[in-house]
Amino acid sequence: MTPTADPPAPDLSVALGRLRLANPILVASGTFGYAREFAPLVDLSTLGGVVPKTVTPQPRTGNPPPRTVETPAGMLNSIGLDNDGVDHFCAHHLPYLSGLGTAVIANVAGKSPDEFAAMAAQVEQAGGADAIELNVSCPNVSGGVDYGRTPEGAAAVVSAVRAACDLPILAKLTPNVTDVPSVAKAAAEAGADAVTLVNTFTGLAVNWRTRRPVLGNGIGGLSGPAIKPLALRIVYQVAQAVDVPIVGCGGIRTVDDVLEFLVCGASAVQVGTANFADPTVSGRLVKDLAAAMSEEGVLSVRGLVGTLGPAKTAQAVGTPSSSRESDR
Amino acid sequence: MSGPHAPAHEPLAHEPLPHADAVQTIATVGLQERIARDTFRLVLECPEIAARIEPGQFLMLRLPGRDDPLLGRPFALYDVGSDGTSFSIGYVVIGKMTRLMTELRAGDQVELWGPLGNGFPKPPESNAGPTLMVAGGIGQTPFLAAGREILGAAAYGERGRFEASAHPPELLYGARSAEYVAEVDRFTSRGISVSVATDDGSEGHHGYVTELLERRLHADPRPARVLTCGPEPMMAAVAKLCEAAGVPCWASLESPMACGFGACFSCVVRVKQSDAAEGWDYRRSCLEGPVFRAETLVFD
Repeated sequence: MTPTADPPAPDLSVALGRLRLANPILVASGTFGYAREFAPLVDLSTLGGVVPKTVTPQPRTGNPPPRTVETPAGMLNSIGLDNDGVDHFCAHHLPYLSGLGTAVIANVAGKSPDEFAAMAAQVEQAGGADAIELNVSCPNVSGGVDYGRTPEGAAAVVSAVRAACDLPILAKLTPNVTDVPSVAKAAAEAGADAVTLVNTFTGLAVNWRTRRPVLGNGIGGLSGPAIKPLALRIVYQVAQAVDVPIVGCGGIRTVDDVLEFLVCGASAVQVGTANFADPTVSGRLVKDLAAAMSEEGVLSVRGLVGTLGPAKTAQAVGTPSSSRESDR
Repeated sequence: MSGPHAPAHEPLAHEPLPHADAVQTIATVGLQERIARDTFRLVLECPEIAARIEPGQFLMLRLPGRDDPLLGRPFALYDVGSDGTSFSIGYVVIGKMTRLMTELRAGDQVELWGPLGNGFPKPPESNAGPTLMVAGGIGQTPFLAAGREILGAAAYGERGRFEASAHPPELLYGARSAEYVAEVDRFTSRGISVSVATDDGSEGHHGYVTELLERRLHADPRPARVLTCGPEPMMAAVAKLCEAAGVPCWASLESPMACGFGACFSCVVRVKQSDAAEGWDYRRSCLEGPVFRAETLVFD
C-alpha cells in the first residue's frame, strides 16, 4: 500500500432555507425534553440542533396516564402537550438552550394562526432561538392538527408567523392526510423555510379483556422503527413534488436510516423515539454519519440529498453485493 | 445528587438532575436465578453503575439488537455486590420483556442506563426509632439495599457509610401466597427482620400487609419512618395509616416509563400543588421520584 493523505473530512453542513446547520442530525420535539435531560449523556454541542418539547400559549396539564405504550417495533403516545406555557419557556428554558452551542429550533403549537404568530414573536423577542418549528400536526390535542390537515390551514398559520417574526420557519406536518405534498406545497408558498415530515401516525392500542383503549386518552400517535417506511415514502413523494427543504423524521435510529432519508430527499433528519431507547444515539449518529460518508467517499451531505433513482426491474439488478443489505 | 427531597418543580438550569452522573453502557449478565414463582434475581457486571447507584434508585434495561421490545424497562436496585463491580435487580414475569429476560444467561449482554431517579432519604439518626419497610410483591427488592444501609453494613454511591441504627430495620412483606415469597433469608441473614403476610394465609399472617403495619405502628419502639413499595392501592393504604399515626412515610412508585430520565413525560403522577387549578399537577416520577413523600401524592 502506498501511503496516501487522509481524505478531507466530509462536509456535513446543510441549509434549511435561511437556517444553516453544522450537520443534519436534529432531535425531534417531544423526544428530547428541553435538552437538559440529555446533558449528562450527550455532548449537545455536537448536534446539528435541538428541537425542545412543544410549547403552548398557556400551561397545559396534559393527558391522563398511561401516556405511552409500546407496540411492535414502535410506541404509541398521547402526552397531550404537557408543558408550562410560553412565558415559562422563554424565561426558563430558552436561556439554557441558547448556551448549548447548537441550533435551537423552538417548537410551538397554538389554536389559531394568531396564537402561533404571537408565540413565534414572543420567542424571537426573548432571544436564543435560531428557528421556529410549527406543530400543526399534534394528533393528541384539538387545535393545531386541524390547520395541518388542509393546504389552506397550513398556509394560514405559516403566513401569520412569517408576518410576525423573522426567524426561519419549519412547518411540522401530519402524515394523517391523503395528500401530504399539497399541504407541504402550501406551507412552502406561504413562506416556510422547510417542512418536517412526519409527525406521528394516529393509532390505537386496546385491551380486549377490559374492552378499553390502553392509553388514558384513547387514540395516540405511532412512532419508532415501525413507521420508517411510511415516513420515507412521504419524504420521497414530497421531494418529488415540491421544491422545499425537508427535515425527515420517523423511526430513525441508525446511520443507514439517516442516509436513507437523505437520499429520499431530506436535507436533515430528526431522531425521535430512538432517544428514549438509546439515549446517546443522537451524538453517536453525527460521528457515524461522518464515518460512513468517508468510507463511501462522499464529500458532502448536500451531495446526497434526493439522489434516489428509479426502481430497477428484476432483470436489471446487477449491483454489487456490497451495496445491498440482504434480508435473509 | 439532588437527593430525596428534590423540590416539586422542574429543576432550574443550575440545579443538578437526579441522573447527573448517569451513564449508558453495556453490562454482562453474571448470574440469573429463580427466587420465587415467576420471580428472578439477575446479577449484572457493571462497575460504572454499581459504583454510583443508591438504594431506591433505578436503571433502564434494554435487550440489545432488537426492535421488539423496543424500549428499555425500569428496574430498582436490589443490591450491589460485595466486590462493588456488580449489582442485582429482581423482577417478576408480567409480559413480553420480562419473559425474554428469563432467557438471559451468564455472559449475555444487556444495555443499561442509570442510575436514575431519587433514592430513599438518608437513614435517620442512629438513636431514632426503626425504619419500617412495607413491601407488596416484587416491591420488596428496593429494601435490601435500603436496609443494609440503615444497618451501616454497606455504602452506596456517594452517600458513604452511615452509623448503624440502634433499631434494625423491619420489613413487612405482603405476597399473594407462599410460592411468591422471595428470599426472606437474604434479608434476615443480613439483620433485617421480616414479617410476612399472604393473601391466602399460606405463609405468615393471613391477610394484608397493611394489617401488620397497623399493629406495628402502635407498638414499641415507635417507628421513626415508613418506606413503602408495591401495588398502588397498598401504598395508598400504607400512606393513610402512617398519616393517622403521625409517622412520616415515603412511597417508591413504579410508573410505566419510556425513557427513565425526563424526556418522554409518560411516567407522570399526581403531586399536590396548592397553586394548581385542581390542587395537583402531573410530575415526572423519574425526575422528581420515584421516591416521594407519600403525603404529597394524590392516589387514585
